[in-house]
Amino acid sequence: MTPRFFFHLYSHKIFFWLFVATFGCQIFFWKETEKVRADFDIIPPAPNKYVVSAASLGDKEFLFRVLVTRLQNSGDIFAGFVALKDYDYSRIYDWMKSLDTLNPRSRLVPSLASYYYSQTQNPADATKIIDYLEEHSVANLDANWWWLFQALYIAKRLGDFDRALDLAQKMAQNNAKDAPLWTKQMPAFIAEEKGDGCVAFSVIQKLIAESDSGKRQISAEEMDFMRYFISNRLKHLKNNKFDPRRCSKTL
Amino acid sequence: MNSILRYILRNGLRDRLYLGLFITLAVAFAISIFLGSTMFVEQRQTTAAYIAGSSRAILAVGMILFVCLSVSRAFESKEVEFIISKSISREQFILGYLAGFFLAAFLIFIPLVAAILLVTKANFSGLIIWSSTLLCELLIVICFSLLASMILKNSFSAIMASFAFYMISRLMGMFTMAIDLPEDFAAAKNHLLATILKILSAIFPRLDLFTQSSWLVYEINDLDNLKIIFLQSLIYIPLMIFMAFHDFKRKQF
Repeated sequence: MTPRFFFHLYSHKIFFWLFVATFGCQIFFWKETEKVRADFDIIPPAPNKYVVSAASLGDKEFLFRVLVTRLQNSGDIFAGFVALKDYDYSRIYDWMKSLDTLNPRSRLVPSLASYYYSQTQNPADATKIIDYLEEHSVANLDANWWWLFQALYIAKRLGDFDRALDLAQKMAQNNAKDAPLWTKQMPAFIAEEKGDGCVAFSVIQKLIAESDSGKRQISAEEMDFMRYFISNRLKHLKNNKFDPRRCSKTL
Repeated sequence: MNSILRYILRNGLRDRLYLGLFITLAVAFAISIFLGSTMFVEQRQTTAAYIAGSSRAILAVGMILFVCLSVSRAFESKEVEFIISKSISREQFILGYLAGFFLAAFLIFIPLVAAILLVTKANFSGLIIWSSTLLCELLIVICFSLLASMILKNSFSAIMASFAFYMISRLMGMFTMAIDLPEDFAAAKNHLLATILKILSAIFPRLDLFTQSSWLVYEINDLDNLKIIFLQSLIYIPLMIFMAFHDFKRKQF
């Protein structure tokens, strides 16, 4: 019997058993890989600038919106939601910085940082959000003073009054037309809360001096509020034996 | 030439170009509105950016497929030979085809712009600039697709060449950025990469500057890019038309 004739006689059986063997291989393969799961990162590493530039195909705004959607929905998995304390905040920080290179004007990323990611149960992670908000705001303070206020608020909530005061002093330097007077008064409020009467006294004194010299127009209502602030806190300062003459002149 | 124009428009109807693109655009609009509405803030702006980005890509891909398949079919079915056997010059033939494709694109483009205005309530000046640069982008893509179909004849090769052209032109922003690589890296590579990228950037148009979604979202402050876009279109469209003339003149039937 020649091989050709043998193949002609038994080919249907050969192919049947080949089919059975490959099917068996597939079942074996499935059994071995059943437990293999795709890698799932809540937050993958932030894309670098070359990847961002290539992926945008010239349309940065479109890619920005796609990536912000990804950042907003990260941790939203089929089984439920991941607690914010389990997120890698250094990656979130990198993502936010990367997104700022695509669109520094949008309110989306600072909103996500201020109102969502700052709610983490891990206080150390929230400092990364403060870092981002500070860097985002300082780049264009007049347009972004509100985000600096949010950073200040988070720092205050964490009990980091030194950082809050530093941020308040930065916020007070804004020249935005739409910024209310309290952005200038904020260092006084924070310093007073911190127990530093000198700074509070100095900030309010400076604002009143600017009003008297005509450098700054302060409405009667705002002046009333400052007087209220002074009279309300004067008692507290007196109790602490606060003496403005002992404050440094450099304040 | 009028009959060629009518023939191309009917081709679009026969190939279900208009219906296919309208359905795809409608789906893209629906997904964009849904994704936009899920955003934390700036829902309208996000919807506008999604619609702008997706509809640009859909129109470009749709027109590439339509042009390449129509021209290849015309060659295969000997329609080209039949038309040029009439009293029509080869230049008129190409211009007739181009005008037909431009008009077909325009028929989809007008309702698209109206729908974007209606859905996103984009600022009017931004929409005008976005849509006029989209039109320029489509004209360049159509011209290249026609040229590729004329030269390559095979529809698959023409489609792949047109997609590659579109992708590379859209990546040109990254290429020009990569030309300024750190000096040590460039020296290590003996400037080869930078030289290749420079040559590519000289040949391909800067489509990465065209049709920015941000124009629908924010006010336009920088008009310099617009000058580049319109000058680029003014140079590149005739360049490809003349290439097509030259190639078609040399063809033997």
